[in-house]
Amino acid sequence: MTAADFRTLEQGQAPAAQPAAAQRTPLGLLRALFSRPASAAGTVIFLLFLTLALLGPLLAPYGANEQIAADARQPPSAAHPFGTDTLGRDVFSRVLLGARDILSLAGFGTLLAVLSGTSLGLLSGYLGGWFDELLMRFFDSLLAMPALLLALMLLGAAGPSRGSILIVIVIVYTPIVARVVRSVVLSVKSRGFVEAARMQGESLGAILFLEILPSVLPALAVEAALRFSYAIFLVASLGFLGVGVQPPNPDWGLMVKEARSSVAQVPWAMYFPAGAIAVLVVGVNLMADGIRRAWTEG
Amino acid sequence: MSANRQTLKGKMDTGRRKQPQAALPLVILLLAALLLQACAGGPAPTTPPAVETGAAVPETGNESEQPGEAAGPTTGQEDNVFRVAMQPIVQTDPALISSDSEVLVANHVYDYLVDIDPQSNLIPRLATDWQVSDDGLTYTFQLAEGVTFHDGSPFSAEDVVWTFERLRDPANGFATQSLYANIASIEATGDLEVTFTLNEPNPFFLYDLSDNHALILKAGTADPSGFNGTGPFMVSDYRPEDRIIMQANPDYFIAGQPALDGLEIIFFADETAAVDALRSGQVDLAMRMSTALFESLMNEPGITTVEVPTNGFDLIRLRADTEPGNDPRVIQALKLATDRQAIFMLVQQGYGAVGRDSPIGPLYASYYTEETPLPERDVEAARQLLAEAGYEDGLQFDLHTPDTGNRPDLAVVIQEQWAAAGIDVNVIVEPESVYYGDDGWLEVQLGITGWGDRPYPQFYLDVMLACDAIWNEAHFCDEELDQLIQTAGTTLDEEERAAAYAEIQRILIERGPVIIPYFFAQFAAIDSRYQNFELKAFAGRTDFRELTLAP
Repeated sequence: MTAADFRTLEQGQAPAAQPAAAQRTPLGLLRALFSRPASAAGTVIFLLFLTLALLGPLLAPYGANEQIAADARQPPSAAHPFGTDTLGRDVFSRVLLGARDILSLAGFGTLLAVLSGTSLGLLSGYLGGWFDELLMRFFDSLLAMPALLLALMLLGAAGPSRGSILIVIVIVYTPIVARVVRSVVLSVKSRGFVEAARMQGESLGAILFLEILPSVLPALAVEAALRFSYAIFLVASLGFLGVGVQPPNPDWGLMVKEARSSVAQVPWAMYFPAGAIAVLVVGVNLMADGIRRAWTEG
Repeated sequence: MSANRQTLKGKMDTGRRKQPQAALPLVILLLAALLLQACAGGPAPTTPPAVETGAAVPETGNESEQPGEAAGPTTGQEDNVFRVAMQPIVQTDPALISSDSEVLVANHVYDYLVDIDPQSNLIPRLATDWQVSDDGLTYTFQLAEGVTFHDGSPFSAEDVVWTFERLRDPANGFATQSLYANIASIEATGDLEVTFTLNEPNPFFLYDLSDNHALILKAGTADPSGFNGTGPFMVSDYRPEDRIIMQANPDYFIAGQPALDGLEIIFFADETAAVDALRSGQVDLAMRMSTALFESLMNEPGITTVEVPTNGFDLIRLRADTEPGNDPRVIQALKLATDRQAIFMLVQQGYGAVGRDSPIGPLYASYYTEETPLPERDVEAARQLLAEAGYEDGLQFDLHTPDTGNRPDLAVVIQEQWAAAGIDVNVIVEPESVYYGDDGWLEVQLGITGWGDRPYPQFYLDVMLACDAIWNEAHFCDEELDQLIQTAGTTLDEEERAAAYAEIQRILIERGPVIIPYFFAQFAAIDSRYQNFELKAFAGRTDFRELTLAP
């Protein structure tokens, strides 16, 4: 009997931890997401923003930093659907072009955090002992600080740049992902199929990534989607606080910050990027909730 | 904390994690907050009701704010109390004050020896007249008669001597010490006559005497924060962080002044809140605000907006002692790539004045000149100059800017304008404390710096553009310029000084390391019922002695 057979057996005994077979394919997951209005709306919002991010440069009528002096401080109109800001920049184009920035920063940051968090969580949970103890106490100390405060401190030390924002997202979210993964590992590692793999002399990597990882995937998928929505918020917050993406980049948080002092004059320059952040975060949250339901309730 | 909870939950049931639901209400809350802000921020919805209450029944707004305040501003008709919104004050000792609000308070409690009017002309205050010796070394002042301090004691020449000795005594360590280092002696040459003797001639000495800190205290004052001045208003109640309440000084030495019965300075840390208070009739005057807030008040009935030009400015400067700034062609190329008029319209929205790369602005009418033409923006010429200087492939810079005022906007516009000439600018916005901290602003290669308004132009040249200037941020040294600055700062011949300033303006346009694209405007908005309001470039020096309600 191979370890894989054991795993199949175990799955039969613990269906709640595994998605139904139909929802393990991307198409199946999508179908599950669209079966519920809320998660369908969230998914549509996310896909819409993703499309805009990909096609932004083709769709944007103006450049992100194109300053049309004659059109400065115009309310929304046919020529400028979201109006223009105090420097004569087209807010619609900036919001559109900013989508790529925020989605790629939050997306890559989350991906890296999930990769490192998963690896460390698997190792920590499986190995246990002093390694587990040391790592978890270290993560405790990181988690004791509010994410934004930690990010501010790190960026203060590293200086604002895209690279350091990515690193900050990884440092802030790795402990959270690692903890979630570790907790699942603890509950599976004593199961029969893991024992069998170990007795067969499989390598550590094989045990972690081929045997244990599949059981972690449902929790991980939900966690990743959630981290993604928080990362969007974090990137926007850092931009708003002036320590994230630097001007003149069309970062949504930064746009809100820039327009805040002139909100009495050009309110649209603040409300559209702020609205974009809110809609995207709500969308991703609804989608994350949908993924959770799809994977756990079958 | 939450991590532990997560672990526990994970152990018990990996599938049932509650976080998505917990996050949703938060997000909805945020949306609601944004919407709320939208309503509060837009000028349109608040306008009509606010104006009506402000103009017709100011009592309603105030009673809830300050119950039991009998002498308060509740009865607008009889008690003529003027209420000003200002930033909170910290220092009350005249030697230590610096912010607009601190100077505003002190300027009404105390008197200057000589004062400056809104056009930066010298005017008498406690000194009614003065004579300067031919060698420019001796200044004699006649003092006003019948002046008393708020505690009833009479004012005399001794008080003036004591005050200036205090300001210049190195043992006290005040900022005025270096300003008055050139004074050899201060003597009371009569009961109401004071004589200052200088070591070297200083054509701007009278301006130095009108410095913000030079308010006359009573000789021997032990606690200089005690508000015992000769000024037009007497402090009756100071509530730190809240307000300072003053009553008119009935014995003020100028007959008929002040015209008001009382003055209340109410502290607002936030300029938006101050403007909202003005809209609702809670205060009568708000000074210093962003262009956007000022614009939003322009069509507000019952409120008069006031705007004066100042000589404060932002500058962009390139270090001239390192590559590539040590090549004059590079500096010239940057100047050619800059469209000052466009910057003025975008960043300043047309308020203030367009700059000509010299700190001698149009406000100094007797010195300012447009003799030397400022080259038009010419991107091709800029490219060519850069190529000649060996930068065919363009240039790359980090542009450091403090995050205050319109400076980040200026950086963004400069970036776009220079990009057309192949100059690639990477904007770095820093908190003001970081930009100026550890003298970092003097070290960066390309930076934006804000300079405040001064009553005369020599200051900027002495501290910024002379070879050994303490804040020579461009690290620029031009012998001809240095000589001219020296001449202008010492000559007693007004024509010679004007000629030197004209030459300085020419040199700065031709080869100066700074670009000065605009001069600021100072903004204020006041309840339209008041008359004789004259805003000064330094808002804190604005004077309410003649302010009065319209009949």
